[in-house]
Amino acid sequence: MALDPHVVHLAIRWLHVAAMATAFGGAVSVFALSARPSPASATAILGVALRYEWLFWGAAGVLAMTGIGNLASFGAALLGPATNWGTTLLLKLGSVLALVVLSLPRSLAVARLTAWADRPGLVVTLRNMYGATAGAFAVILGLAIWLAHG
Amino acid sequence: MDSPARLVTWSLATFHATTFVLAIVLFAYSKDALGAGLSGLNTFVGLGLFVALWATTYVTTSRALRGLDLMGSARDRSGYARRAFRWGAANGMAFLAILGVVAVLTAVSNTRPGQVASGILLPALFIAPFALVVSAAVGGAVGALFGMIDLGLFALAGFTGGDAEARL
Repeated sequence: MALDPHVVHLAIRWLHVAAMATAFGGAVSVFALSARPSPASATAILGVALRYEWLFWGAAGVLAMTGIGNLASFGAALLGPATNWGTTLLLKLGSVLALVVLSLPRSLAVARLTAWADRPGLVVTLRNMYGATAGAFAVILGLAIWLAHG
Repeated sequence: MDSPARLVTWSLATFHATTFVLAIVLFAYSKDALGAGLSGLNTFVGLGLFVALWATTYVTTSRALRGLDLMGSARDRSGYARRAFRWGAANGMAFLAILGVVAVLTAVSNTRPGQVASGILLPALFIAPFALVVSAAVGGAVGALFGMIDLGLFALAGFTGGDAEARL
C-alpha cells in the first residue's frame, strides 16, 4: 500500500517544526534561566545547558534531514536562486550553516564548563552564548516564515 | 548520557553530517541544480540515506576520538587530524557500501530474474573496488578538512594552549 505523498510531506513538515521548536525553545529557556539567576543556581543552569546541547544536536540533524525533504517536495517547481524567494532561501541556508558551525564551540564550552561549575562569570558566559543562539534562531525563524507565507 | 566526552562525540558527529549535507545543498541550490537533483529522489530513500550518513559518521567519529582527550590535552589535539583523515576514509567507504546495497537492491527489484546476475550483480562487483577507492579518497579528504575545521573551532572555544585550563 502506497502512502499518500501529502501525508508524508505533512509528517516531514511537522517533524521539522517540532525540531525547530525544541532547538529554539531550549535556547530561549537556557537564556531566560541565566538572565535572572538566583545566587545558587549556576550549577542547575549548567545542567540544563548540558542537556540542551544533546537535544540541540539531535534537533540539528532532524532539521537538516527534514529540511531537504521539504525542498524535495517542491520537485521541479522549486524556484531558482535568482528569484526573491530563492535569495531568501540562500540567506536562510547560509544562516543555518553559520549557526551549526558556531554552535560547536558553544557545545565544547559547555562540556568544558561542567568541570568548573564554581567558576566566576559562568552564568554571564551561558547568558551570552544562549542569547546569541536564540537570536540567531529568531532570525532563521523569521526567514522561514517569510519563505512559507511571503 | 551527560558525560562531557560523549557530548563532544555526539556534537562532532552531528556537526560533520549536517554541515556536509548543508554545504552540498547550499552549493547545489546556488547553481540552480538542487530541484533537478532532489526531484528524482524517493522521499523515504532520501531520509534513510541521511540517517545512514549520520550513523556511519557517528561510528567513525567515535572511533577517531577513542583514547583521545581533545578537551584536556594539546598533544591529543595535534594527533586528531591524522585520525580524522583515516576515519573519514572509512566513513566514505561505509556510506558508499550502504548506498551500493540500496542501489543494487532497487535495481534487482526492477529487473527480470534471469537478467539479475549478468545485468546487475556482475557489473556491481566489477565497479565496487574502484568505487571504494574513490569513496575512501573523497572521505579522507573531507575527513581531513573537517579535522582542521574542528581544531579551529576547538581554538575558538578556548582550547588553544597546552594542557592547562582553556580560556573561556
